[in-house]
Amino acid sequence: MSGFFVQNVWMIPCLPLAGALIAAVGARRLRESSHVPVVAGIVLAFLVSLGALFSANPEATTVVARWLSISNLEVPIEFRVDGLTTMMLSMVTFVSSLVAIFAAGYMAGDPGYPRFFALIGLFVFSMTGLVLSNNYMLTYVFWEGVGVCSYLLIGYWHTRPAAAAAAMKAFLVNRIGDFGFAIAIFWLWAVVPGHDLSYGNILSESTLGALPEAARVGIPLLLFWAATAKSAQIPLYVWLPDAMEGPTPVSALIHAATMVTAGVYLIARSMPLIALAPGVQVLIAVTGCATALLSASIALTQNDLKRVMAYSTVSQLGYMFMALGAGVSDVAQLAVVAAMFHLFTHAFFKALLFLASGSVMHAMGDVIDMRRFGGLRHRLPFTHLTFAVGGLALAGIFPLAGFFSKDEILLALKSASHSAAGLGWGWVYALIYWVALLTAFMTAFYTARAYFMTFWGPEKLPSPDDPEAPRPEPGPGHGHGDALPHGAGQDENHGHDHGHDHVGQKSPPIMTFPLLILAGCAILAGILFGPTHLFEHHLHATLGFELLGHGEHGFDLATALISTIAGLLGIGLAYRFYASESPVPGQLATRFRPLYEASLNKFSVDEVYDWVVVKTTKALAVVCEFLDIYLVDQLVIGIAKLPRKLGKDLLAGYQNGLIQFYAAVSALGVAVLLFILLLF
Amino acid sequence: MIDVFTLDLLRNYLLAGAALFILGMLGFLSRRNLIVMFLSAEMMLQGTALTLVAFGRYHGNLTGQVFTIVILTVAACEASIALALIVILYNQRSSLDVTLWQDIREEGVPATPQMQEEAEAEPIEPVPGPESYPILTPAGIEPAHPVQPWLERRK
Repeated sequence: MSGFFVQNVWMIPCLPLAGALIAAVGARRLRESSHVPVVAGIVLAFLVSLGALFSANPEATTVVARWLSISNLEVPIEFRVDGLTTMMLSMVTFVSSLVAIFAAGYMAGDPGYPRFFALIGLFVFSMTGLVLSNNYMLTYVFWEGVGVCSYLLIGYWHTRPAAAAAAMKAFLVNRIGDFGFAIAIFWLWAVVPGHDLSYGNILSESTLGALPEAARVGIPLLLFWAATAKSAQIPLYVWLPDAMEGPTPVSALIHAATMVTAGVYLIARSMPLIALAPGVQVLIAVTGCATALLSASIALTQNDLKRVMAYSTVSQLGYMFMALGAGVSDVAQLAVVAAMFHLFTHAFFKALLFLASGSVMHAMGDVIDMRRFGGLRHRLPFTHLTFAVGGLALAGIFPLAGFFSKDEILLALKSASHSAAGLGWGWVYALIYWVALLTAFMTAFYTARAYFMTFWGPEKLPSPDDPEAPRPEPGPGHGHGDALPHGAGQDENHGHDHGHDHVGQKSPPIMTFPLLILAGCAILAGILFGPTHLFEHHLHATLGFELLGHGEHGFDLATALISTIAGLLGIGLAYRFYASESPVPGQLATRFRPLYEASLNKFSVDEVYDWVVVKTTKALAVVCEFLDIYLVDQLVIGIAKLPRKLGKDLLAGYQNGLIQFYAAVSALGVAVLLFILLLF
Repeated sequence: MIDVFTLDLLRNYLLAGAALFILGMLGFLSRRNLIVMFLSAEMMLQGTALTLVAFGRYHGNLTGQVFTIVILTVAACEASIALALIVILYNQRSSLDVTLWQDIREEGVPATPQMQEEAEAEPIEPVPGPESYPILTPAGIEPAHPVQPWLERRK
């Protein structure tokens, strides 16, 4: 039976792809039921993934087709069904199914309905392919595939300039990371025996032992470079908050639960390779820590509900990288398990939070600014409840999912600070441990702040006369004449049929049911898989896992207590500040004006990048344009003008209309040719 | 032995072919009558054909002959088209003189003052030949062809 699932694992990516193709081809006929083939494909893929989950085996591989075969580069389409892969597969297809079902309600009435679902199907195809593939080359292909889907879905409302710009930004920033990945693959190809890029070959003890000294540091560094772009880490995190321009289900699925974890997956998959370079691991941990802290501090002051969630996602991804970076010496196994466990639980509660935000947005007529609504707990009791569950899980309160996974990461960091002492890095990990606790406190605070601002206090519904309501500008960038009657929220183009007349309405059951299931997972996923070590045992069936160092790491009560206290402290503080009208936040903001402004303006990172990168690139482009117009173009035009000059000014005079003259010239020409022929 | 086709024999054929070709070329370059030019061109073609046949015979294969037959076929087609064109050209100018078609020249190039040159030229003195030359009678009377419709068509 287990062989059956391993043999037929190709169905997992192909079923959603088939659904996407049906939705794309039959768009005209299916119209409002375009979601049916895609949802069916993803749900079937989930069922197959469940089967594969129980057949996980580090050595189980299946070759689907021959693909690249160029002299000494042999890359088949080969899938590996081990613990890490099946865990990711089940998580991805499960969350995708729920989000797709939610989107069927959320996107109803949108003119691009079939296109949306075709793209979702295509995304699930790429993502499952990414986690299934058994060599770096194929991973790279699907890596690009998810990037393309992300680009297309961020720019789904492509008539809106902001969405188009965000899509472009996401794509270009991701290209920077892809460049690192490509170089890593070239380097691997050059140094591994047999030029075989499969995981089985590269992550084996003999290959790893024989790697040249430079490659041991360089390749992990390049792989981490790739991961920083896809998983939104410093310095390439800037695309993720902007990616919220896409529809909310896309933000939930791609930019919170699945695609952004591809970088974490890549590092976890390559852990035996990464573990060769403890210096790179420290770098990973420091980067993750800095990202977590920075984005958490930005999230503290944002007023856009989705943007808070976006920065929270960046912060939680930073957590995962902290864990991966903590995998020195005997902590390696624990670190991978912690990172993947956090990835797993985070997918549930973050998707839940996003979908709940989407639900709020849907009810508020596409307004997402938290200052413009409040006290919705009576009007949207169901959304309120699910958001609360998601928020508690994110804040890491016992016994919800986030508590266990965050605790494991903190434990890994603490163990690393002891284990890495021999390498001289112990103090770094100790510092990261305390910063991580501080971040946990901030996480709890901003999550609770969003929750209280949205659901507590006096009830308030968005109206166009709010002081915070954006004024429609008649400038060229804002070409929407109907911006004012639609409230000009984040998704102003979306769903013209549920505009302002529906404000405050409840969501349909097709949207509440996925929320319910995700809330259940956010409560149970941690306690079911964490303390029982089910998750850990499953990951042990991963290729190369036994190569990682492991030791005894018991449950650390002190860490659990401190992190819970930090979480509760954050929530309590937010309750004091935001549950009812309170002057304290305003006073604090005035007292620490520079800090507040910096956080509100996202530390001006975008502006700095704009000056340093975008402006210089544009200047270079201007130089290139100049060269193109005045050098290359002139050269080409000059060559094109030459025959005309030659014919008009030199030879036209001989075209005198006398046949005999022409014949004589031809005869002379032949004579000259003959003469030359005889001469040489 | 007729089968012995020596190099000397070949040279004779080639000389004959070359002579035909050169005569044709000189005729083409010097005559202004469209039909005579056409005939000269045909003569050049025949010179080439003769050369090809001779080479084919010399090498003992049929390639040259086959090629000649192809040339003849093409020449026949070409003749029909050329004659049709000549008829049309004649209809336009009522003359076969090719220099009347100078206006196909490039724009802005001055016309070659052929007519003026001709007018200034010395009249041709008939060269008195020997008495033994035959005196040909005028070639019959002009056939009664309807000139009128042609002239009308030109307008």
